[in-house]
Amino acid sequence: MTSNYIPGLEGIIAAQTAISMVDGENGRLVYHGYVIADLAEEMSFEEVAHLLWRGRLPTRAELDALTLELAGSRNLTPAATATLEALPTDTDPMDVLRSVVSVQGVEHRLEKPTIPLAIHLAASFPTILAAFHRRQQGQPAIKPRADLGHAANYLYMLNGKESSPEIVHALNTYLVLLADHGMNASTFTARVIASTDSDLASCVVGAIGALKGPAHGGAPSAVIEQLEQMGTAQNAERWMREARTRKVKFMGFGHRVYRVYDPRAKILKAMCERMNPDFYALATKVEEVALRILHEEHPERPQSTNVEFYSAGVLQAIGLPKQYFTPTFAVSRAAGWTAHVLEQVANNRIIRPQSEYIGPEPRKPVPLAERG
Amino acid sequence: MAEFSPGLEGVVAAETAVSEVDGAGGRLIYRGGYLIEDIVPVAGYEEAAYLLWHGELPAEKELEALRQQMSAARTLNRSARGCLTALDPQTDAMDVLRTVVSAQGASKTFSKPTLDEAVALTAVFPTIVGAAHRRRQGKEIVEPRADLGHSANLLWMMSGEEPKSDQVRWLDTYLVLLADHGLNASTFTARVVASTGSDLCSCVVGAIAALKGPAHGGATFAARTMLDKIGSAENAEKYLTEAHGRHERFSGFGHRVYRTYDPRAKILREMAKTASPELYKTAARTEEVALKILHDAHPDRPNATNVDFWASVVLTGAGIPKELFTAIFATSRVSGWTAHVLESLADLRLIRPASHWTGPEPGKKPAQLAKR
Repeated sequence: MTSNYIPGLEGIIAAQTAISMVDGENGRLVYHGYVIADLAEEMSFEEVAHLLWRGRLPTRAELDALTLELAGSRNLTPAATATLEALPTDTDPMDVLRSVVSVQGVEHRLEKPTIPLAIHLAASFPTILAAFHRRQQGQPAIKPRADLGHAANYLYMLNGKESSPEIVHALNTYLVLLADHGMNASTFTARVIASTDSDLASCVVGAIGALKGPAHGGAPSAVIEQLEQMGTAQNAERWMREARTRKVKFMGFGHRVYRVYDPRAKILKAMCERMNPDFYALATKVEEVALRILHEEHPERPQSTNVEFYSAGVLQAIGLPKQYFTPTFAVSRAAGWTAHVLEQVANNRIIRPQSEYIGPEPRKPVPLAERG
Repeated sequence: MAEFSPGLEGVVAAETAVSEVDGAGGRLIYRGGYLIEDIVPVAGYEEAAYLLWHGELPAEKELEALRQQMSAARTLNRSARGCLTALDPQTDAMDVLRTVVSAQGASKTFSKPTLDEAVALTAVFPTIVGAAHRRRQGKEIVEPRADLGHSANLLWMMSGEEPKSDQVRWLDTYLVLLADHGLNASTFTARVVASTGSDLCSCVVGAIAALKGPAHGGATFAARTMLDKIGSAENAEKYLTEAHGRHERFSGFGHRVYRTYDPRAKILREMAKTASPELYKTAARTEEVALKILHDAHPDRPNATNVDFWASVVLTGAGIPKELFTAIFATSRVSGWTAHVLESLADLRLIRPASHWTGPEPGKKPAQLAKR
């Protein structure tokens, strides 16, 4: 019998969506019809979140209303604050986020997912992460400021002071670029959970768990670590060739969907050149060598730099600690996750695929006393 | 391009030896090739969990070792305790479970899923469910007992009283029956999260989140709620006829996979006669009438009683309040979730399906804010 099993569900259409499209052949990422390059450096995260949630860019009045609602939802519930304080300071911030978002969402149990609930949850991410970061530093949490936007307020709560417009703009661009990306594993997780009619917090908590995996969102800090091991551009090729003999994976390369340069990586690369010249010098050399080696090994495969690679340089330039790279990815993707949940719920059918049994033919069990 | 199959119906998303649902034949096969009706007479929950994890039933020495390992892992760690006490005592038991499991598994280092972690996570579920129940009632939390097995401990930590042996047997049988069931939505969620290389706790938290949905794990609660509304065998026909007239779905009937009577429902139905004789009468009459109405309305459709219907009667007999039904379901299924995650590690591949774009033609230019 031939197997119908489709590893990784590659090429299987699991949803119809109007939220984002990854055009892998042409290297385009599209949010509701807009190409990412037209949004990235022009729009605020709030405008893009509105686009993902409602399907269109906001008018001035709508943007003001959304900004106000986000700012008004930044405080944690007493239970969420207490949970945050109960976790040891050396806990992985992704585990903190998973646990505290789970508590923050408790108040809305089994309500049908709505846009206000999406706003409420998305608004809490920066507060949770910043408060935990402050605790790790032995400093008190900073109260959110309603007059600052999503990106600016996140930095303010992390550092206790306002960041320069350039830094705020860089973080905002990052948040816009990463806000959605088709049927990636964490978004798909959120949609599977939504398909059981579960609540929004459950969907988002599941998605955080999926994003944590190194094959998904868990890679950008690994990019930095690898670059640190190489140390210098001169040393890159020797290190990388040697690493390959030990089957070490190059972090930040390859993607299931893109066959050409990831359009987000292109924008982030240009930002690195401006903001993080040391990183840029080493990274461009490593990129050149990595693509060359990967091409030598598999000339038939398209090889490309993915979004994680230059994300690492941008987030480093913004001043985020490595541990907060993946959680900050989550801050951005929370908009996409919740938008997908709302879309799934609007036209739902429980996602329950099949499995193919590869175990033994039915047989009789032996009672305990006769086993041995 | 492949076609969109809503709910991924008919798509094979995994190869598995953990369990097989033979819908046409009405058979549920657990790892090792054992039919569920053959396992129930010879194995308790710990043995069934061992079977799902290892592929073979344990010998006496192995079972003893597993019991000791579980017994040592029943206590909540500091993070989990802090998190539990931070939650409002009235919090939904599934939200408590999702949050406290997340905290129990929160860690400073990242680790790949292991069997020891699977055992530890499984062992701690009764502790959390018991504590959630006690807090809800405004009572002191009861600590686990080393001399009691999994099911007995759960009842002990709920009531603080020595459970009756019949009660333990009814609950234990339920836990054996529900421990795995092919690629259901929560198990699939766990496998999607695992596919990113994430940790075991994230997989299990995601699965809890999916199980919470009324279309998945919430069905037992819904079945019991319907039986409560019906109230007596005499009222069944009137209630169901009216409900059918209002196009209400009957809770506890129908299943995506089974085309005949669910083998688990058959076992629970028999047990319900002694576990809860009064409720059994109402349920038996309800089943008779519901199946007739459904058959008359859709003679072409197989509309059999599902496991949730009879589970709701047996759990009632075991002394479980209906607010805990879904959490008890999770307490069983966690062994299956973890077995699937561990199995998937052998050939890990990112689960990243495609989506079909239904949005506007890409490339439209965004208007400036002032012009919208």
